Amino acid sequence: MKKFWCLFFMFWPIVALVVCAMAPGMNWWFPGESNSPIGVEIDGLFNLILIIVTIVFIGTQIAFGYVLWKGAHIQKNEKALYTHGSHNLEIIWTVLPCVVMLFIALYQMEVWAKFRVQSTFDQDAVSQPIAEVTARQFEWRIRYPGPDTKFEGKADITDWLKNPRPTDLYTVNDLHVPAGKNVLIHLRSGDVQHSFFVPELRIKQDAVPGTVIPIWFNVDNKTKKYDESIKGFSYELVCAELCGWGHYKMQARVVAQLEDEYKNYLLQLQKEQFDDGVSAESDDDEEEE
Amino acid sequence: MSFRLINSLIVLSFICCSGCDSLFMSSPAEFKLSKRTKSLHGPAKNAVQRNLLDKFGTPVDMKAWERFPINYGSIKGKVKEPGSSTNAFSVSFNNEQEILPENSILRWLTGSFAAAEEDLFRDIPIESYSAETGEIVLAKKLSEDPKEGDQFIINPGFVLQHGRKLYMTHCLHCHGVSGDGNGPTSEYLNPRPRDYRDGVFKFTSTLSTEKVSHADLQRIVKKGIPGTYMPSFMLLKDDELEAILSYVQWLSSRGELEKKMVAELEADYSTAAVRSRKKEGETSEAISKELQELLSVEFSETVDGLATEVAETWTRANSKESLVVPKISRVPDSPESRQKGRELYLSNKAKCATCHGPKGIGNGPETKLFRKIPGTNKEYDQPGLFDMWDKHVKPRDLTRGIYRGGRRPIDLYSRVYSGIKGTPMPAFAGTLTDEEIWHLTNYVMSVPFEGQSSHATETEKVSQK
Amino acid sequence: MSTLNPADAGFNSDHAEDTHAEHHELSFVKKYVFSTDHKIIGIQFLITTVLMLMVGGALALAVRWQLAFPWSNMPILGKYFASEGGQISPEFYTMLFTMHASVMIFLVIIPILAGAFGNYLIPLQIGADDMAFPTLNMLSYWFMWPAMMLFGMSFLFGGGPASGWTSYPILSAIKDAAPGSGAAQTFWLLGLTFVGFSSMMGSINYLTTIINMRAPGMTLFRMPMSIWGLFITAILQAFALPVLTAAGFMLVADRELGTCFFIPASIIVNNASPTIGGGQPLLWQHLFWFYSHPAVYIMLLPAMGMVSDMLATMCRKPLFGYKPMVYSMSAIAGLGFIVWGHHMFTSGMNPALGMTFMLSTMMIALPSAVKTFNWIGTMWGGRIQFNAVMLNCAAFVTMFVVGGLSGIFMAAVPVDIYIHDTYFIVAHFHYVLFGATLFGVFGAIQFWFPKMFGRMMNDSVAKWHFFLTFLGANGTFFPMHFLGVAGMPRRYADPYLHPYLEHLLPMNQFMTISALLMGVAQFLLLGNFFYSMFYGKKCGRNPWNANSLEWTAPSPPGHGNFDIPPVVYRGPYEYSSPLSGDKDFLMQTEPPVKKKKKDTGETEDS
Repeated sequence: MKKFWCLFFMFWPIVALVVCAMAPGMNWWFPGESNSPIGVEIDGLFNLILIIVTIVFIGTQIAFGYVLWKGAHIQKNEKALYTHGSHNLEIIWTVLPCVVMLFIALYQMEVWAKFRVQSTFDQDAVSQPIAEVTARQFEWRIRYPGPDTKFEGKADITDWLKNPRPTDLYTVNDLHVPAGKNVLIHLRSGDVQHSFFVPELRIKQDAVPGTVIPIWFNVDNKTKKYDESIKGFSYELVCAELCGWGHYKMQARVVAQLEDEYKNYLLQLQKEQFDDGVSAESDDDEEEE
Repeated sequence: MSFRLINSLIVLSFICCSGCDSLFMSSPAEFKLSKRTKSLHGPAKNAVQRNLLDKFGTPVDMKAWERFPINYGSIKGKVKEPGSSTNAFSVSFNNEQEILPENSILRWLTGSFAAAEEDLFRDIPIESYSAETGEIVLAKKLSEDPKEGDQFIINPGFVLQHGRKLYMTHCLHCHGVSGDGNGPTSEYLNPRPRDYRDGVFKFTSTLSTEKVSHADLQRIVKKGIPGTYMPSFMLLKDDELEAILSYVQWLSSRGELEKKMVAELEADYSTAAVRSRKKEGETSEAISKELQELLSVEFSETVDGLATEVAETWTRANSKESLVVPKISRVPDSPESRQKGRELYLSNKAKCATCHGPKGIGNGPETKLFRKIPGTNKEYDQPGLFDMWDKHVKPRDLTRGIYRGGRRPIDLYSRVYSGIKGTPMPAFAGTLTDEEIWHLTNYVMSVPFEGQSSHATETEKVSQK
Repeated sequence: MSTLNPADAGFNSDHAEDTHAEHHELSFVKKYVFSTDHKIIGIQFLITTVLMLMVGGALALAVRWQLAFPWSNMPILGKYFASEGGQISPEFYTMLFTMHASVMIFLVIIPILAGAFGNYLIPLQIGADDMAFPTLNMLSYWFMWPAMMLFGMSFLFGGGPASGWTSYPILSAIKDAAPGSGAAQTFWLLGLTFVGFSSMMGSINYLTTIINMRAPGMTLFRMPMSIWGLFITAILQAFALPVLTAAGFMLVADRELGTCFFIPASIIVNNASPTIGGGQPLLWQHLFWFYSHPAVYIMLLPAMGMVSDMLATMCRKPLFGYKPMVYSMSAIAGLGFIVWGHHMFTSGMNPALGMTFMLSTMMIALPSAVKTFNWIGTMWGGRIQFNAVMLNCAAFVTMFVVGGLSGIFMAAVPVDIYIHDTYFIVAHFHYVLFGATLFGVFGAIQFWFPKMFGRMMNDSVAKWHFFLTFLGANGTFFPMHFLGVAGMPRRYADPYLHPYLEHLLPMNQFMTISALLMGVAQFLLLGNFFYSMFYGKKCGRNPWNANSLEWTAPSPPGHGNFDIPPVVYRGPYEYSSPLSGDKDFLMQTEPPVKKKKKDTGETEDS
C-alpha cells in the first residue's frame, strides 16, 4: 500500500505534465497566436514563466516523490533522521527563488510600461483617438469622431469625451480600427464596471464607472485570416468583469481594417447614420440584392 | 440550513439513481395561456387550449402550421419516378432547390408510407441529393418503391427548432417561453421585455396601422434597443438571426391567434359572462349545449379565418406599401429649420411639449396627470402615461441623445409619422406635412447638443489657465 | 494512559475538586449549546462548517452543471428555483457562484480554521485550561448564526446577491443594477458584518490567550506551528477586518442612506434616473482587497501550521527549519498587507502602483517557497506513516506547489493583463484554497478527531475519501488552467456563446464529472465523521505518539483540559531524538532525562 501511495503522488504530476504538453495540440491553449506586438511580448513572458515554473514543478515533485519513496522504505526498527534543519539549505532556497523572482519582476517592467504608461506610447495616436467605447449592460456602444474631426490638443479631446458632437458616428458591438497602426481608444462605462477584453490581442482593461481610461494597441494581424465579408480582420471582444446577469452576453468584435477600407467604413457608416429614407433608399436596395 | 443540506443530499442521490428523474427534474417547458384565456368558462378555455395545441404544439414538440408566412425552412416536393433501388428515387421540389442542408430528414405526407401505422418510415435521414439528376438517396431502405406523385416534406420545422434552441440561450430569460415577456429575469428589468403575444412591436418603419416588418425585427435584434436591456445581437450569423426571427414570429402568431379566439368567445363565455347569464335565468345545461354546438360546428372555421387574418397582417407589413417613405428628402439641418421645428414642438398642432416637456426632458404636464385604467373606472396608482401593456411609460428625454428606435433621420421621421405602437406617442401622418416632420426631426436631433458650444469654451478656458 | 469515554469525561476527571467544580452541574443547554468551553465551541464550529461545506459544495455543483450542460434541465435547483422548464436563469447563475464563494470563504474556510481548530487547539497546545475570554468565545460562535441566517435569507428571499463575493460597486451599490442587488445584497453585507464580528471576537481572544496564558516553559519558540499559524492569522484579522467592516458599512450606507462613497455621477442603471454621485468605485476595491488579500492568508496560514505539525508527527521527524518556518509565516503576513493591489492590475490604477504591487507580490512568493522546501525537508529521511492524515498532508504540499507556482503568472503584471478574471485565476485560488487548505483541514480533522471525541476515525474510509477527493479535485481544478489560457472569463453563465470558447465544452463536462465525484466523496467524510463520533475505535490520550501538549490531556479532555498542569521543557518536534530512548517521540512535558540522572541516577523511561 505504501508503494501505491508513493506512485499515486508521482503519477499525478506526470499526468499534469503530459496534459500540459498535449494542451497546445488539443487546442486547449491561447486562442490563436497574438496579433498585436504587446500580445507577443505577453506571450513571451508567459512562456518564460512557464518554463521556470515547469522546472521548479518538476524539481519539487521529484524531491517530493523521492522523500516519500524513501520514507516509505525505511526499516522497521530504524529511527527517522534527527535533524532540525540546515542553515545553508535555508539560505540557498531563500536566495535562489529571490533571484529568480527579482529577475522576473524586473524583466517584465518594460512590457508593463509599454502597456500602461502613456508617455511611452506613440503621441500621434494619443492626439487622435479612434473612438470612445462605452460599456453598458450588456453591450458595447461605440462612438467615433466624425471622419472629418481633427482634434486640436488635449482640451479638445476632453471636450469631445464630455460632449458628443452632432457629427459623431455610432455603432454597437462593432469596433473598427485601422490595422497595423498605433491606435488609442477611450474606454468608459455607462453603468456598472465592465472589462474590455480582446483575447486574441491580449488586451484587457476594466471600464470603471466615472472614469475615462485610454487604451492603446496595435493590431498587426500577423496570423489572422482576412475576412472578405467584413473587409477586415475580426477579433472577439468580450467582457471580463462581472457586470450583472447578462455578463456573458456582451459579445462584440474588434475589426482591424486596412487604412482605405477603414475610411470607407466610416464613410459608409456616416451615410447610413444620416439616412433619411429617401436619398439612400436606392443604394440600400442594390446592396441587399 | 437543513433545507439546503437536504438539497445537496438529494443532488447526490440523484446521481446515484438517475432512474427516478421526475422527483428531481422539473417538467419540460410549456406554453402558458394568457390571463384572458384563463378567464374563459371551462369548456371554452379548453377549446382554445386544444386549438393552440393542435396548431402549435408545445415547446418540446412544435408544429409548423403552414398557414403563417413564416420561413419554417421545410422543403416540399413529390416523387417523380422510382430509382435504381428502393431507397433512391428522383424528385421534383415545389421550389427550385440546389442543395439540401446536412443531416436532412424526409417525412412522407401522402402515399403508402405516410398512411402506414408504424413510424418506421416516417422520418428518414437523407444520405445524399444531387441537383443534376434530381435523385435523393435515403439512409434507410424502404419496404417498397415509393409511387410517383407521393408527396414529402424535408426538414419539417427545421428552422423553428433551430430558432427555439437559439431562443432558449439568447431570449428566453427575458421574453419567456411563451414570448409573454415574463421570463425569469424580466421582473428586474425596466422597461419590461416585450410581450410578443399581441403582435405589437414599438419601433417600426411601417405605417401606424401596420405590423412590424421583417426588416425592423432584424434591425432591432442586430442593433439592440439603446436605453433598455435589449442588447445588440450583432454577431449572430444570418441563418441564426433568421431562425430566431421565425421563432419569434411564430410565437407572436400563436399569441395573436389565442387572443383572437378569446375575443370571439369572451363576450358570451367568459366565466363572468356565464355567471351573469345564469343569474338572468339561463340554465347551465343550455349554456353548455350552446357552447358545445358552437365549438363543434363553426369554431374550427372561425379559427381558420382568424389565422388567415393574422397571417395577412404579417404579409402586409412586409409589402412596400406599408413602409413609411418620406415624400421629400430631409430638409437641410439649419438653424432656421430647427427654429421651425422648435416652434412646432411647442405648438398646439403637434403638442410635443405636453408630454416631452418644453425643454425636451420628458416632463410635460401630461406626465403629472392621473389616468384611468382603460375599460375600468379606476385610476392608475401612479401619475403619467401608460402603454397598452399597462406599463408606466416615460416620454423620452430628448436631451440624452438615446434613441430607442434608432438615430437615423428616417427613424425619427417614422417615429413622428407613425407614432410608437402600443404607446401614447401618436402618429402625426395626417396632422403634419412631410416638411414639418423634417423640421421637427431636425430640432429633436439638435436637442442633445443645445448649449454645448458654451460648454466647450468653458473647458478650453479652464485648460488654458 | 487511561482511556476515557466522552460521556464521563466532563464529570469524572481527576480535577473535579478544583475551582471549576461548579461548572460541572451545567444543564445540557449550557454544556453543549451555549457553552463557554473552548472545546465545545470548537466542535460546534467544526460541525457547522463541515455542514456548510456540503452546502457550498452543492452550490458549486450547480455552477458546474450549468457550465457543462448550459440551459439544460438542472436537477433540484431547476425544479425549485428556476421557472421555465428547469432552465435556470442567468441571474440565478450569478447568485449561485456568489453564494458558493461566500459560503465557502466566510462560512467554511475562515471559521473552520480560525473558529474550529483555533478554538480547539490554542488552549490545548499552549497548555491553558481555557480561552482568556470564554464568553466572548461563545459569542464568536453564536455570531456565526445571524450571518448564516442573513446569507440564507439573502438567497431565499432577496433572490440572492448577484455581484460576486467581491461585490464590486456599482453592481452592488445601486439597487437597480442587477437582480439580487436589492434586499439580497444588503442582507449579504450585513451577514458579512456578522462574520466579521465573529472573527474579530475570535482573534482578540486568540491573541490574548496565546500571549498571556502559555504554560510554564512554553516560550514563543516552543509553540507548535499550528499556534504560530493561528497567532499570525489572529493578528491579520485584527488589523485587516476593521477595514472591511467599515467598507461594508459604507456600501450599506450607499445603498440605504443615499450616500455616494462608491457611486460616481451620471450613472444610468436599469433606465433609472442618473446618479448624483461623486464617489469612486475603485475605493471599494482598495478597501475590500486590503482585507481580502490578508484574508487569503487567513485562509491558509493556520492550515500551513497544522500541516507542519501533522507532517512532523507522521514522518516521526523534527520539523525542518522551525525558525525559518516561523519567520516565513510572519513574512507572508507582513507582505500580505502590501500586495492587495495585485487584484486590481487591470482596473486602471496608476501604473507605477502596479509595479510596486508586482514587486511585493513577487516577494511574497519567497516565504511560500521556503515553507514548501521545509516541508519536503521535513519528510526527507522520515519514517513516514502512510495513514489518511499523512496522505492529506502530502496532498497539501503537492497541491500548494501548483497553487503557488500558478500565482507567479498572475504576479507578473503583463501576463496578468491577459489572465486576469479568466479561469486561470479560478484555478489558482482553488488550488490554494481547496488543494491546500481543505486537504490540510481534512487531515487535521482526522488528526485531532481522537482528541475531540476519544475515538479514532476509520482510516480506510478516510483513505478512500482522500483518494476520490484528490482525483476529483485535480480533475476539476487542473483543466481550469487551460480554460484560463484559452481566455475563458470567469462568471460566464454560458461561455459557449462565444465562438472562441465553443470547443471547451467537453473539457467543462469532464470537470463537472470530476466535481461530482468529489462531491460524492465528501459523503464518505461526513459519514466517517458522524459514525466514528459514536462508534469509532476508542483511543488513548496519545494515539499518534505526538509530542505537543494536547496529547497529554485525556481524550476527550475534561473541563479545564489538563488533569496534570503541564510544564514544558522543549519544543514540540522532538521526534526520533537520540534522547528518547527506544521510543521515537519525546513529549513537551517530559522532564529532561539529564536532570533525573543528576538527582537519583536511576533510569526512567516515559
